[in-house]
Amino acid sequence: MSKSQSQTRSAKRGFAQRPPRPTTARGPRAGLAVSLLLHAALISATYLTWSRMVNGSEVSHAVPVDLITVTRVTNIAAMAPPPPPTPPKIEVPVPQMEAPALPQFNDVEPAPEPPMPQFKIQPEKKAEQQNAETKQKQNSQDFAALLNKLTAPAKTPPNVKVGPRTIQGIGAANAMTADLADALKSQIYQCWSPPVGAPNANDLVVDFDLRLNPDGTVAAASSPALSNANPNPYNRAAASAGEAAIFKCQPYKLPADRYSQWSEINPLRFDPRQMMNQ
Amino acid sequence: MSLENGMRKLLIICALFLAALAPLPTAAALQVDVTQGNIKPIPIAIPDLLAGDPSQAQTGANIAQVVRADLQRSGLFNTIDPKAFVDHITNINTAPNFANWRVINAQGLVAGEVSLQPDGRLKVEFRLWDVYSENQMLGQQFFTQPENWRRVAHMVSDAIYSRITGESGYFDTRIVFISESGPAIKRIKRLAVMDEDGANPIFLTRGDYLVLTPRFNPTAQMIAYMSYIATKPHIYLFDLETGKQEELGNFPNMTFSPRFSPDGNRVALALETAGNSDIYVMDLRTRAVQRLTTDPAIDSAPSFSPDGRQIAFESDRGGSKQIYVMNVDGSNQHRISFGAGQNGTPVWSPRGDLIAFTKEQGAHFTIGVMRTDGSGERMITNAYHDEGPTWAPNGRVLMFSREAQNSRGSQIWSVDVTGRNEQRVMTPGDASDPAWSPLIQ
Repeated sequence: MSKSQSQTRSAKRGFAQRPPRPTTARGPRAGLAVSLLLHAALISATYLTWSRMVNGSEVSHAVPVDLITVTRVTNIAAMAPPPPPTPPKIEVPVPQMEAPALPQFNDVEPAPEPPMPQFKIQPEKKAEQQNAETKQKQNSQDFAALLNKLTAPAKTPPNVKVGPRTIQGIGAANAMTADLADALKSQIYQCWSPPVGAPNANDLVVDFDLRLNPDGTVAAASSPALSNANPNPYNRAAASAGEAAIFKCQPYKLPADRYSQWSEINPLRFDPRQMMNQ
Repeated sequence: MSLENGMRKLLIICALFLAALAPLPTAAALQVDVTQGNIKPIPIAIPDLLAGDPSQAQTGANIAQVVRADLQRSGLFNTIDPKAFVDHITNINTAPNFANWRVINAQGLVAGEVSLQPDGRLKVEFRLWDVYSENQMLGQQFFTQPENWRRVAHMVSDAIYSRITGESGYFDTRIVFISESGPAIKRIKRLAVMDEDGANPIFLTRGDYLVLTPRFNPTAQMIAYMSYIATKPHIYLFDLETGKQEELGNFPNMTFSPRFSPDGNRVALALETAGNSDIYVMDLRTRAVQRLTTDPAIDSAPSFSPDGRQIAFESDRGGSKQIYVMNVDGSNQHRISFGAGQNGTPVWSPRGDLIAFTKEQGAHFTIGVMRTDGSGERMITNAYHDEGPTWAPNGRVLMFSREAQNSRGSQIWSVDVTGRNEQRVMTPGDASDPAWSPLIQ
């Protein structure tokens, strides 16, 4: 018995007398601490990664939602009152249309377009407007009066407000007009029903140079695709769809005090490629 | 050196400063990218065409009615009920009062007139207006014999459809199909043609013999089909102009599933020999025959690509029926369909971008499309038994045979390539195996 004990002891002693191994030198407690530390690091790393992934997937989900319900995320739409039911304006200030003498038909060939009477757009008086803009705070009343004078009956909706600009650091000009672009987009998209059958989707992307009057009506809309003498039929159809949307959705409700920023939209691009991938 | 460096730094700083400032004072034009729209049928007002002479009033009303029906059926237009109009066209050579057409939300307006010419021909003219931009989009006129008013109406529909969608129309086309009648045990199947809208159905055969798989040639003047005239089924050609029919070639065995090449000079077909069928091409001018496949499996249902360089066909060489593509000389045969179930009856789109096919899964047969390399498979119908797709000449719409689960007869249906706008095509009695003609020249 004593022999066996001494053997055990000597064995223990022998064990203890061996040169210390690096891992066990600080004892099991140190190992536990290292293990705990590593586990904690692992768990926190996993947590961080997961949380980021969750965020990431939310972001990618948010994109289509953003596109479908533009109004919900647009500052202007959120704060503006719901658009009042607009009664059909039959006596819009359209200049008297004289029946134009239409050209002769060609046999099965498209007839040339008849000379359409030009709309008489009031001169924009840019200098005056810019002047008014700079002194906007002092004489905003005068400016409004000027606008009213320029565009006789149609009034800019008074309640349109622009929410706080939250987009920072992407260029001052963008930040200043991002909300305007959103506001315009949220109005025009409802009127836009593009043709989406083209084999080459790029044919359907059309750019417009759109000039607006201070009351939000269209002063002029031009597109190279519309004036092309020998057009690609898909491109021409897409341009017509864009033109119809531009005119159908007017007048645009945009903040009157920032007219100088939205008097011209160029390019106003209609790009249905995302819709076609659905 | 250091002075130079300093100058350079100063320049860079100045440039950066200017770049940062530049957009501010110039107030560049606003840029807007509209990427989402609201795809819906385009509202269009098509009043009855004016009559140059009171006797033509009915023709004017008839043409307008056919145009309205054509555009409505396409699913891309919403034709406004004439009862809703608050204005009417009095003169097609003056601009309409657009405000009155905006009231009823019309985006397009068709103003047209029919009149009888001194030489007895009918003159049909029309203008298509964009009501919102107040521009004329199109103006055309046609001269024809008065009895052809229906074809002219389809041409007007095609012109409007084409101007607004950018795609060529398909209303001035015909459908050849198998008309079925009689009890199940003694079914009578006759070759028939009709206009795309189901009007003017004509029977080409009396029903003494079984007929199957009719196909138009590219001029829509000739039909190839399979018939059991002399116990063994053979391919016949039917000339619509003369009413003559002839057997295609002098093959000892059964020939079936004919299809014309895009230039109309060749016919691809399947020839059966001792239980094995292979694909052959016959030149219609020289009657020379070329064998394209030699596989011991069953190869059939050839269909040319619109450029005439490739042929899609079905084969069970891999164990189940699948779709293969080869060059027109028979080289480079490769499988393209790898989806679930069995896939057959490939039909190359006239536009060249897609292949329509029939998928069999269990007892279900459905119509789908895939790209020509087999990618992007997409099913566009979901019923019990749909088969035998055929393309409209613009590659935008398909027709096919549909049989309901507990019915004995089949019907012809059409569907947009997107899978929307499924509609029954009205036929006299039951009908199957439709084939769409090209646009009639």
